[in-house]
Amino acid sequence: MPDIKPLVLPLTEASVRTLRAGDLVTLNGDITITAGLPTHRRIVEYMEAGRPLPIDITGDTLFHLGSYSRETEGRFEVLYMNPTTSTRFDSLMPGLIRHYRLRMVGGKGGLAMASTEAMKEVGCVYLSFLGGGCALLSDAIVSVVAVAWDDLISHYRLVRLRVADLGPLVVGIDSHGDSIFEQCSRTAEARLPEIARALDAERGRRMG
Amino acid sequence: MPVTYEQVKAVAAQLYGSALKKVPEDTKAALVRAHAAETSPVARSVLSMMIASARRAEEADRHLCSDAGIPTYFVKIGTAVTLQGNIRQAISDGFDHLVATIQPPILKHVTNPLTLERGHKGRSMPLVSFDLVDGADYLEIVCSPKGLGAGRWAALEIFSFPTLDVIERYVMDCVLKAGSQHCPPVVIGVGIGGTFDVCAKLAKQASLRPFGLINPEPILADMEARLLDAVNKTGFGPMGTGGDTTALAVHVDYAASHGFVPVAVCFNCWINRRAGARLYDDGRIETFE
Repeated sequence: MPDIKPLVLPLTEASVRTLRAGDLVTLNGDITITAGLPTHRRIVEYMEAGRPLPIDITGDTLFHLGSYSRETEGRFEVLYMNPTTSTRFDSLMPGLIRHYRLRMVGGKGGLAMASTEAMKEVGCVYLSFLGGGCALLSDAIVSVVAVAWDDLISHYRLVRLRVADLGPLVVGIDSHGDSIFEQCSRTAEARLPEIARALDAERGRRMG
Repeated sequence: MPVTYEQVKAVAAQLYGSALKKVPEDTKAALVRAHAAETSPVARSVLSMMIASARRAEEADRHLCSDAGIPTYFVKIGTAVTLQGNIRQAISDGFDHLVATIQPPILKHVTNPLTLERGHKGRSMPLVSFDLVDGADYLEIVCSPKGLGAGRWAALEIFSFPTLDVIERYVMDCVLKAGSQHCPPVVIGVGIGGTFDVCAKLAKQASLRPFGLINPEPILADMEARLLDAVNKTGFGPMGTGGDTTALAVHVDYAASHGFVPVAVCFNCWINRRAGARLYDDGRIETFE
């Protein structure tokens, strides 16, 4: 098992820049999450109007995690959380990463190269969470710091959570322009002709 | 003794609940085998987390994924079984009961495609399809809570007199397009032939086939083996962060077709949600994964 780096949030730009694609980390501290496209659009509206967000994400985190939150006796509790597909937010993330100088983003499946470029500029990494990891990831929730925009359905809300030992998470894209996702796609494309030849050879052998 | 509305309602709820919380035994075993065989340290870590997550969800009675999916049931009615009451309604009511009672509660993922409004139900939900099994004395229900993180990468194309290499190349194109996105290692279902609709259903049902069964069609048994090998050479790996394990299984089914042959490809993510039961005429209920 590779070393797992425990990180305490918030991170400085310098410490983010020490992380490399393929590193394993755990998070300790406060994170901000949402799984909603309407939420991202609303953040963009606030950003463009110069309005402060109800939960400040400047120099902080924005993870593509959906959560089940409910209000009982005037307090929110979060029962579970789990990553969602980040590429749904591809068109909006570069702008958000640059404007809020995000230090960490994440979810599952990675982000497109335009986000990798923005992450390189500001000093930000993408963390890959375990899809289907709901039970494990939810164990890391220590408390609910804030829930904003509760007019939206649960997993679209902007939620700030205190977490301990959240992970391990894989650094999928680092702040030096290296994206495991991009690398995997390029590798698979490059291997495809050879894979197709092997399929042909095996088929020929079996079919005589 | 007939199979009753009450039985079907209870089974429809139970299957959905167990599919949300338990990775099938064959899939857990496949993850353990993959972990032992992986050469990438990061991939081994991710597979370890998957194995731990499956265990944790089971022991804590929690969901594996926050996406409870869209409710899908495949029903096979034996012609020798007697039914009592409204069976389609029983499945729908069973799903409603699940939504009302399951702990922890499930999120709203069913979406009205015309308004994008989300809820637990909607038009045609749950999706239920029926088939007949001549002579069988049971009603079979297979439940597939279909999350769209993997489901969205399904594809279908109609080819003109395709040779096997064209079909296999199409499967690989779909795999490359899905890339790191569908929570690999996945189960890949492939349908070949029939018509547009039948082909998609063949692929979907192939994806729900238990592991380890040898395809009775030798041409397809061979195709499954070489495609699994080919997919795992791509290197996407667990959660798409690199490794040797991109798929746990490739299952292919076919139907006769016109010379214009549809080929459908679909994916089930690593938690491989599926749960089934047979309700017999004599009152027995057998569950399976």
